[in-house]
Amino acid sequence: MQELFEKQINSLKEAHFHILYWTAMAEEMDQKYNITNIFDDLKFIGATRTKQSAVALVDSLSVLCFININGESNRKNIYITKYGAKVLEFLMVERDYKIKKSMFLEGIE
Amino acid sequence: MNIGIGGAGSKLASIASSGESVAVNVSELELSKVEAKTKILAVTHSARGQLRGSGKNSNIGRDAYISIHEELKNLIKGNIIFTSTGGGTGNGITSCLLEGLSKNEEPVILEEKSLFAFVLPYLNRESSEYVDNTIEFLGGPVSSAIDSGNTGNMVLFSNKLKFEGRIAEVNYNQMMVDSFNSFLSIPVKGEMYKLLDGHIDFEDFDLYKSKPYFNHFTQFEWDPGQPFEQQLSSNFNSLLLAPERAIEVMFLVELPSPELTPKFYDIIDYFAQDGLAPVYGVVHNPDLQKPLVTVSLLYSRKPMELVDDFKNISDIYTRNRIKKSFEQHVVLQNHKLDKLNEARRMVEEKGTSAGDVLGFLKRIGKL
Repeated sequence: MQELFEKQINSLKEAHFHILYWTAMAEEMDQKYNITNIFDDLKFIGATRTKQSAVALVDSLSVLCFININGESNRKNIYITKYGAKVLEFLMVERDYKIKKSMFLEGIE
Repeated sequence: MNIGIGGAGSKLASIASSGESVAVNVSELELSKVEAKTKILAVTHSARGQLRGSGKNSNIGRDAYISIHEELKNLIKGNIIFTSTGGGTGNGITSCLLEGLSKNEEPVILEEKSLFAFVLPYLNRESSEYVDNTIEFLGGPVSSAIDSGNTGNMVLFSNKLKFEGRIAEVNYNQMMVDSFNSFLSIPVKGEMYKLLDGHIDFEDFDLYKSKPYFNHFTQFEWDPGQPFEQQLSSNFNSLLLAPERAIEVMFLVELPSPELTPKFYDIIDYFAQDGLAPVYGVVHNPDLQKPLVTVSLLYSRKPMELVDDFKNISDIYTRNRIKKSFEQHVVLQNHKLDKLNEARRMVEEKGTSAGDVLGFLKRIGKL
């Protein structure tokens, strides 16, 4: 299983990392964070230009059980799972990704 | 009678005649500022001209000349005309007057010849419009008037000393008038004081000033013990353009004591070296402590040469200005501010460390 987990992580891209980070951050800040917010933030950092890509990225993380998508009223809010937290920890330590702030969560001073 | 045309000319004529002059202008406002016995308003259709004068546009002066040309043509006969060459009114109206004189079919008789006193701009300090107007004036109307022989002397005052000596306009005008009066008083002194040798009467003087040449006059204390040449060259009139080689000379020597009379032959000898036979007078002026000499040199410098001088200096000045403007020309980079990228950069600068992330993952109970 460990091998499978490593393979899953290795196939993740930088955009996945950002989504996991922002999702965790939202939870830390006690904020609701949904697909639309993810799309806006990905667009802002230049990772994607289309909502479909943003949805595909979120779906893949969801399928791998790294995030949960909860339909709350008419929003689909995202929460990081314990597996997702381990993945984020791994990516933070092993990959040289630079954290980018979320416009939605933190804005720009 | 002194006639002043334009703002600068009217002021000079007014000082020279103690307010008994004739002032000509296109602007009533300008005329009201000058003290003059007679004020002639030249009618211009330009509203700007009526209100503020011609400025530097000589065409306004030329247009306005039509309304006064009959009156002015008769008025200038045998009189002195003051004007500046750089401005609009003086330059425009005087240009028409000189062109009219040049086209006279009958030569102007001696008694009716006018003496012109021009004030030229100082090239290094005054605006290029003044200089360009002067170049046009000297090369055109002045040149043809001299060729026609229908004018009297022309006196070329320069504003150089005014700017270099930082002299207020009113004081400078007084200096020019005083200097001019030193020349005009030659026949008066000839009559006033006891004659010791030679004689310059009013007829001689009128004949002299009716010659169509440039006139450079100067007055200085003369030391009979020193060579005259040296004294003359170091005492040229700094209010006037420097003279060229003289073709006619007039001088008046005023001596405090008659015993010095024979010394004036030194002056005669000096001019004789150049083949000149001066008109001269020697008088006894008991009010003086030292001998005083007033010299006038008539020189015929073709106005085109003068124009070349002006053009050359004007060109250098223009070149310097262009060079300076090139040096000052700064190419501004087209700075496109990409707000999005700038915001990203700022976000990156405020990055979060790995330790922080692991900290809050633990806090939310995911690790």
